[in-house]
Amino acid sequence: MSVLLDVQRLAKRFGALQAIEQFDVQVEAGEILGLIGPNGAGKTTAINLISGVIRPDSGRVTFEGEDVTGMRPDRLVRRGVVRTFQATTVYQERTVRENVRRGAFTTIYPGLWSTFWGTRAARVAAERADTAIAELLAWLGLGDVADVEARHLPYGHQKVLGLGIALAARPRLAMLDEPAAGLSHDEASHVADVVRRINSQGVSVIVVDHNMRFIANLCHRIVVLHHGAELAMGTPQEVTSDPRVIEAYLGTQH
Amino acid sequence: MSRSIASRVLAPSIGAGLGRTRWVWLGVVAAALLVWPLFVEEVFFTYIATVVLLYTIGTASLHLVLRIGHLSLCHAAFMGLGGYTSALLTTRLGWPFVPAFLMSALVPAAVALIVGPIVLRLRGVYFVLITFTFGEVVRLVFNDWQSLTGGADGIFRIPPPHPLLADKRAYYYFALVMAALCVGLVARLLASQTGRYVDAIREGERLAQSSGVPVLRFKVVIFCIACGLVGLQGSLLAHYIHFIAPGSYTFNESLNLLVMNVIGGMANLAGPLVGAVFLTALPELLRGWVELQRFLYGVVLIVVMLFVPGGLLEIGKRTAAVVRASRAPRP
Repeated sequence: MSVLLDVQRLAKRFGALQAIEQFDVQVEAGEILGLIGPNGAGKTTAINLISGVIRPDSGRVTFEGEDVTGMRPDRLVRRGVVRTFQATTVYQERTVRENVRRGAFTTIYPGLWSTFWGTRAARVAAERADTAIAELLAWLGLGDVADVEARHLPYGHQKVLGLGIALAARPRLAMLDEPAAGLSHDEASHVADVVRRINSQGVSVIVVDHNMRFIANLCHRIVVLHHGAELAMGTPQEVTSDPRVIEAYLGTQH
Repeated sequence: MSRSIASRVLAPSIGAGLGRTRWVWLGVVAAALLVWPLFVEEVFFTYIATVVLLYTIGTASLHLVLRIGHLSLCHAAFMGLGGYTSALLTTRLGWPFVPAFLMSALVPAAVALIVGPIVLRLRGVYFVLITFTFGEVVRLVFNDWQSLTGGADGIFRIPPPHPLLADKRAYYYFALVMAALCVGLVARLLASQTGRYVDAIREGERLAQSSGVPVLRFKVVIFCIACGLVGLQGSLLAHYIHFIAPGSYTFNESLNLLVMNVIGGMANLAGPLVGAVFLTALPELLRGWVELQRFLYGVVLIVVMLFVPGGLLEIGKRTAAVVRASRAPRP
């Protein structure tokens, strides 16, 4: 397998707090990588650094062999890297279809000039997008609620819709920040199914969460973060049986 | 604070298209605007109507800025840049109106292009405060750069765009065409795919950016268009009233444009148009009662903000809904 995303010696300091320290990680094409750790371990910061929401103090991020360190999120999307957020995951006041249409910006927006004049290129792009969006919604199991405003959906469906928005940008790597936070066990396993299906379409995934069971069931490989640094890395079996992980992380729960 | 108000007010019911009814209404309004001056002799009304039309350019363009999620308090400064550009080019350099008019959009748009990338990074009250400050700086330049602008006395004898347009009624029709073009441009922009992503930016900036929307670039482009348009209003007003001074472009004027948007309703483009009609015509018609005018203005503003954040437009919609419900056959 080839390395899709290569993160080397990433570091970020907020004032006196070393949020991320010498963080290395490689994502291979086609895998689901879990990023786990207790609250404050630096998981979201790591995602923010990779996705360009904040700039790292040092280190290097390469995607498909090209340096994308600190590249703005909207540019990174064009290269094939999308991310979701913990909190703002959908446009509440808009229909499910409109939400996904907004996610498809990079594929359907032909520029201000041609949309203003409604050129043929713009119309064709919009029509093609409508078909693709309908297919995507059906694939996600949201076809029946396509014209419902997002805020009326159950929370679990909203989370799936958030994945749909990310997927509409046709990524090769999706970074999901706590896609199952606040969900019931059933809803969480539905989200996990969706993530597996996304992965089966050839999209590599990084999943951030603090729930070991969710991550261990879903991911091929897990990186455990602790105090902004890597504590352990390996398959779910290796990581869950690692004494350091049990002490630092699971120990607090059991 | 301002941001949350803006997003709360702007959020609902933008996509609720009216389809054919809307086109019928548009036709009725257009016909009325074309025909009424033929029946009304009073020049005063023609004057008010012309000013109202010109103000719709300003309010519609400020609506654009509001739609990207920013409350700008320097819109009058850009109006002033347009007014001064076209007034100076025609009076000092003897330019014909048309190129001067074009410059009255380009100069404010160019200034917006320089200022925008800096200020549009700021959010909420910080943006409000910086635009307030910028507006005052521009006004002070108008006031203090006496050799160029004539200082506080302003510029007199600004010629009409064309000798034929010295006639008030002719200018009314000229303003009607210009307002229709400018408001039409804003409407088209918002109805296009671009409008979709403008709304996406306001409702979820981070989310939009994570979908690949170049947020800052969108904001800057929209801001430039808005400032260029209000510059046109500045020019059209200057050549109508034949006089401009720094006092025409104060903070009060910026606030006025904003209040017109709030009162009319910020949910869609009809709001600022209603607001422009209401808040331009009302003070003119109440000229005899200046004290009462201020008082009414304040009361209306408070009532609207407290009880109908959707503005006058929402009052109209609610009334229509009540009427429709009472007419509907009971089951």
